[in-house]
Amino acid sequence: MKILVVDDSRIMRNILKNILKESNIDENSIIEAQDGREALNIVQKEDIKIILLDWNMPKLNGVELVKIIRSDENLKHIPIIMVTSEAAKYNVMEAITAGVTDYIVKPIKGEIVKKKVQEYLKG
Amino acid sequence: MKVEYINPFIKATVNTFKGFLGAELKAGKPYLFDKGNNDIRYDISGIIGLAGDVRGSVVISFPKLVALKVVSDFLSQEIKIFGDDVIDTIGELINIITGNAKKDLENYRIMISLPSIIKGPNHQINWMQGVPVITIPFESKYGPVYLFLSMKA
Repeated sequence: MKILVVDDSRIMRNILKNILKESNIDENSIIEAQDGREALNIVQKEDIKIILLDWNMPKLNGVELVKIIRSDENLKHIPIIMVTSEAAKYNVMEAITAGVTDYIVKPIKGEIVKKKVQEYLKG
Repeated sequence: MKVEYINPFIKATVNTFKGFLGAELKAGKPYLFDKGNNDIRYDISGIIGLAGDVRGSVVISFPKLVALKVVSDFLSQEIKIFGDDVIDTIGELINIITGNAKKDLENYRIMISLPSIIKGPNHQINWMQGVPVITIPFESKYGPVYLFLSMKA
C-alpha cells in the first residue's frame, strides 16, 4: 500500500511528506511524482491507496490525470485528494466533475490533510 | 485596469503569508508603476500569467535578503544560498496568491499559468504592452515585499 504525492514543487512535496510522516505513515510507503505524466506511470505500476494531487503542473495537469484515472477500470477506485491553490468555486466544480474525491486549498493546514488522509485510509 | 481586480490580490497576499508563514503583511497604498523610472530594488520575482476573461500577469518581488528570510522561515532552517529552495518557494507563493485571489474574482473565468521566476539585481519584467502596472508595497517583518498587477479584461 502506497501513498502518491504529486506536485511540481519539491518544497510542497516535502511538506506533504512530512505531514504524512507525522500521521505515522511509513516514509517508504510514500512515493513522489513531479508532474501528472510521471504520476500516471507510477499509478499504473504500484498499488496506490491514495493520491495527493496538485492541479497546475507541467506535461499533464492534475485534472487531466484525474480524468484518465477515472476512465481506467483498474484505477478508478483510488481516492484522489486534490491539493491546489485553485480556490475559485468553478475550479472546485471542475475538479469534482472530473472525479476528485476531495479538495484542499493551499496554503494547507497539516491537521486537515492528516484528517482526510486517515479518513480515506480507513475507507 | 479595474480597481476591483486589486483587492482580491491584496487579501490573498496577506492571507497567504499568514497561512504559509504565520507572518503579518501590511499593505501600503497602491500606485502606478513607472516602467521607465523604477526606484524599487528587488532581486527575485515570481510571475504568473493570466488568461481567459482577464489577461495579464501577477508578480511578487523581493530583495535578496528578504527572500532568504522568507524562505528560511518557511522551511524552518536558515537558507543562505539564493538557489533552488528560494526559487521553488517563491514560485509556490505566487501560485497560491493568484489561485486564492481567483476566489474573489468569480465573475471572471481566469486560467493561471505555471509560475516562472526571474533572478538578478533589478531584472526587467516583460509587461504586457499598453496595460498599466499597479504596485502594491507591503511591509513585513522580513522587509519590503512588492506585488505588481497588470491586467485587462
